[in-house]
Amino acid sequence: MASVAGGSAAETPPAAPRDPGHSLRVPSRRELFERIVSLREGSIIVVTIVTAIYFSANTSSFFTGTNFKTLLPYFAPFAILAAGEVFVMILGEIDLSIGAMYLFAPILFYKLNTSVGLGLVPGVIVTLLLCMAVGALNGFFVAVVGINSFVVTLAMLFTFEGLALIISHGTPVATPGGQLPLDTFGKVFGGGTYSEIIWAVAIIAILQVVLTFTRWGLYTVAIGSNKLGAAEAGVQVKAVMIRNYMLCSLTAALVGIFEAVRSATVQPDPAGANEILFLAVAAGVIGGTLLTGGSGTVVGALIGALFLGILRDGLILQGVNANYLLFYTGLAVIVAMSANVYVGRARRGHGGSG
Amino acid sequence: MPDIDQAHEALERLDHLDRREVDRPGFDRRAFLRRTALTGVAAGSVGSILSACGSSASSGGGSSSVFGSHASYKFVFVNHVTTNPFFTPTQYGAADASSLLGCSYQWTGSESSNVNQMVNAMNSAVTAKADGIAVALIDLHAFNAPVEAAIKAGTPVVAYNADAVGNARLSYIGQDLKKAGEKMGERIVSDVGSGDVALFIATPGSANLQPRIEGAEAAVKASGKPITLHTVATGAAVPGELSTIDAYWVGHSSTKGMYAVDGGSTESLAKVMQKYGLAGKGVKAGGFDLTEQTQSLLKAGDIEFTIDQQPYLQGFLPVLQLFMYKVSGTLSGLAETDTGLKFLNKETITPYVNTKSRYEGTATAAKVIA
Repeated sequence: MASVAGGSAAETPPAAPRDPGHSLRVPSRRELFERIVSLREGSIIVVTIVTAIYFSANTSSFFTGTNFKTLLPYFAPFAILAAGEVFVMILGEIDLSIGAMYLFAPILFYKLNTSVGLGLVPGVIVTLLLCMAVGALNGFFVAVVGINSFVVTLAMLFTFEGLALIISHGTPVATPGGQLPLDTFGKVFGGGTYSEIIWAVAIIAILQVVLTFTRWGLYTVAIGSNKLGAAEAGVQVKAVMIRNYMLCSLTAALVGIFEAVRSATVQPDPAGANEILFLAVAAGVIGGTLLTGGSGTVVGALIGALFLGILRDGLILQGVNANYLLFYTGLAVIVAMSANVYVGRARRGHGGSG
Repeated sequence: MPDIDQAHEALERLDHLDRREVDRPGFDRRAFLRRTALTGVAAGSVGSILSACGSSASSGGGSSSVFGSHASYKFVFVNHVTTNPFFTPTQYGAADASSLLGCSYQWTGSESSNVNQMVNAMNSAVTAKADGIAVALIDLHAFNAPVEAAIKAGTPVVAYNADAVGNARLSYIGQDLKKAGEKMGERIVSDVGSGDVALFIATPGSANLQPRIEGAEAAVKASGKPITLHTVATGAAVPGELSTIDAYWVGHSSTKGMYAVDGGSTESLAKVMQKYGLAGKGVKAGGFDLTEQTQSLLKAGDIEFTIDQQPYLQGFLPVLQLFMYKVSGTLSGLAETDTGLKFLNKETITPYVNTKSRYEGTATAAKVIA
């Protein structure tokens, strides 16, 4: 292993010496094997399993079929949100506007359906396209104009949360296609018990393949590792960045629609959306994606979301009260992340020099 | 004994041990830090203490001599703003009813009116085989299916604080929100008479507030007086509400009366009234609920009235009703309950200002108020 790592290090741009797997070329079969045995998500998987075992041992209702269904909406929407966010975080940027897209998309969908008269599916498609346009705007301001992504996307967060309040008149409405009894549309777009988890697994599988095996993914990692180097190597940096922001807005808009269909109501209150934003970014980071960019994993985002979901569901099952819930969640994240770093260190120690 | 007290006790005991170490003359700083770190770990394990308490259910104290030996029921409150101070007395009410009846309760839901989180918490409560659920029905659509599913799964559900038309909940315990709005509207008609009136609401459309606006509008319209109502959304956080109402007054200083339909907006409105001395200029104002700020500004005469809806009872009565429903084998217990609509003015607010109590969430210890 060490020899392979050393061999690839010679070809890797000097800015990313610690990550031999990700260079600007298609990896060989042996490197792929190596990457699988030393999974970046390895440590958080261990931590998540330990958390699940803890709750199974302490709460009789945790390890049951009913709770499996209960647990799904605790993490599936966050996994999809975090999957898109990972593509932006690997660039070394951030997208805070996903909170606004989550809020804005179902309201737009409602308006398109009721005021413009679009059908349910065309309404969803147009909504997603318009939200992707917002993502392109994010990317434009960050990559072309050159404003810090935190500021750009914070501004967009405010703008579109405000717009959501304006066009909804601050009033919740019934989600089109989300009312009982659910038809096929409602069951597919978030209303069915397994709808969100199927979407989450599919989206994560596709995006992980994109990240690992395609030029788009490799360019994304390259830009996050060394933007200037990537540009000089001929990567269309601005185009890739804009594309990633569009992807991030797309996943956030999709989750917004799913959650509105699931709860049968379109809510305009930004407070709830902002909390979703923080949890999604946290899921990405806990899953093993660096906030500083250059390294990340989509599957990790799923595991990170699963960890947070298990924690919340498990604590509520145990009977923890709201004021204590935050307290325990905070403690558990610190403990889990410490274990994560520790396990990660042990893994690197075992996996060779790199 | 409710879980919350056990956890408190455990934490306080740990704190106490540490304090003793500090007081000792030969104090070892390094050992102290190590122990402090251990306290953190120990605090983490309080979760398991809690669950242990939950499972060690026994027949509940005094209540079993009245109702016969019963299991230690566990009731779950699903709330939309779990950490909002309005609901502090509600939690005391639930805790007091629980210890009176030998039950336990859990307070959970969303911190930020996120209905998806509330629905998740409801599902968890059903999964955890709670003996009953009390939920604030802040949305007209979101809770219909989950409430039906819970009742079908054998978990009784009552609504508190906010109600939704057409929901299958077994009873509602809280203010009659529409009627409260109408009474406020009648007051607006008699106090203002004519001109522009602002109505502030934290989150328009939410089922716990919007009916008050509708009630006020209906009463003003029915009076036929030339009053123009302007509904203004203020947002869910007090600092934002304050600046919204401040800005509204600055931009609309011909307004004859300003009223709020939620606790946060009422407090902010009272502060703006005080800031510009508007009561002295003849601007009328009033609102809902009894935060400490609202109490003292009402006493000082900055607003004319506030309306009490007894949040304590909104915690106490759901536990009582669910308990009765369980021990009576579903024969008794449920009753639609209006927790009231009490106008308090500059004089009648005095006992509230002068007392600290669990009924208003201003004291932690129980005591009889003479």
